[in-house]
Amino acid sequence: MLIQFLLIIAVVLLLVLFLRHHGTTKTAAGVKIGFVLFMVLGAVAVIRPQWVSMIAEVVGVGRGTDLMLYGLIVAFGFATINTYLRFKELELRYARLARAIAIRSAETPAATDPEKSAA
Amino acid sequence: MADQSDVWLVVPVYNEAQVIADVVRHALETFPNIVCVDDGSRDGSADAIRTSGAHLVQHPVNLGQGAALQTGVEYARSQPGAEYFVTFDADGQHQVHDVLKMLERLRAEPYDIIVGTRFKGDDSHIPLIKRVVLKTVVAISPRLRKLKLSDAHNGLRVFNKKVADEMAITLNGMGHASEIVEMIARKDWRVTEEQVEILYTEYSMSKGQSLINGVNILFDSALKTSSRR
Repeated sequence: MLIQFLLIIAVVLLLVLFLRHHGTTKTAAGVKIGFVLFMVLGAVAVIRPQWVSMIAEVVGVGRGTDLMLYGLIVAFGFATINTYLRFKELELRYARLARAIAIRSAETPAATDPEKSAA
Repeated sequence: MADQSDVWLVVPVYNEAQVIADVVRHALETFPNIVCVDDGSRDGSADAIRTSGAHLVQHPVNLGQGAALQTGVEYARSQPGAEYFVTFDADGQHQVHDVLKMLERLRAEPYDIIVGTRFKGDDSHIPLIKRVVLKTVVAISPRLRKLKLSDAHNGLRVFNKKVADEMAITLNGMGHASEIVEMIARKDWRVTEEQVEILYTEYSMSKGQSLINGVNILFDSALKTSSRR
């Protein structure tokens, strides 16, 4: 079935692009365009369900609802990975911030050990 | 004994109040410069470090061992006269005489970094499951085989200023061991390994990372994006 190829290729392509270019302006824009497209498709699916059914027929899924479900699963997967990567990035910045504070307020033994500072 | 004032020990500490002061005091007999990075411990580790005579750098929040190592290395490399760096565990499972042996080699031979290995010579003291898992990791990792390293997850490492300056650990958690191996390969650091003995005490066994954490490490390493390199 055509849908199997389409889904697998979509997943692999998106994953590779994502991991390779994550964090660049281009990908950020790409994600937004993808999101808008997704919303438009959703609206179309509501207004003209028969179009979705036609596409579903062409790619070999049968029903339009099934096609929507597959699309949703792929979209959800990528939203999850996107969030995960965003969190990792934030974590790294947060670590750098904490590190800067930690190093700035480092305590040398002379400052903390009364015996040594007295000597 | 040779002068070790150009050596810095980096010790990441997380909730080790019970043992850290003793570990540091023992190491201070040989190495005058020790920096302990308290990774947001909640058990008074920081106070224990203050009494021990080591430098204390305190993360305001818990960040993970990888982040603590990076902090310690950054602190140590900015100290005047620092030439050699050692990553050393806080739970007392590493031994000072192993460090001395590694330092001696690093000073004499053309290497940038020497990592400890548990798998040269007799390894029967290592718990069996640990042995099997760690050996499997090496068997399936082409990078480790290429670098001829037999133990990727040994916390004992000795390296020079070049490596310390270039060190940039981005995985905050436990994935840093694989990340360091990856850095060795990418930055062409000259690497070798040295047989060390790990003391599996009851304390270190209870604190050591569980093998199930390997799943987390694999996941983090696989989803590491290239843009951050």
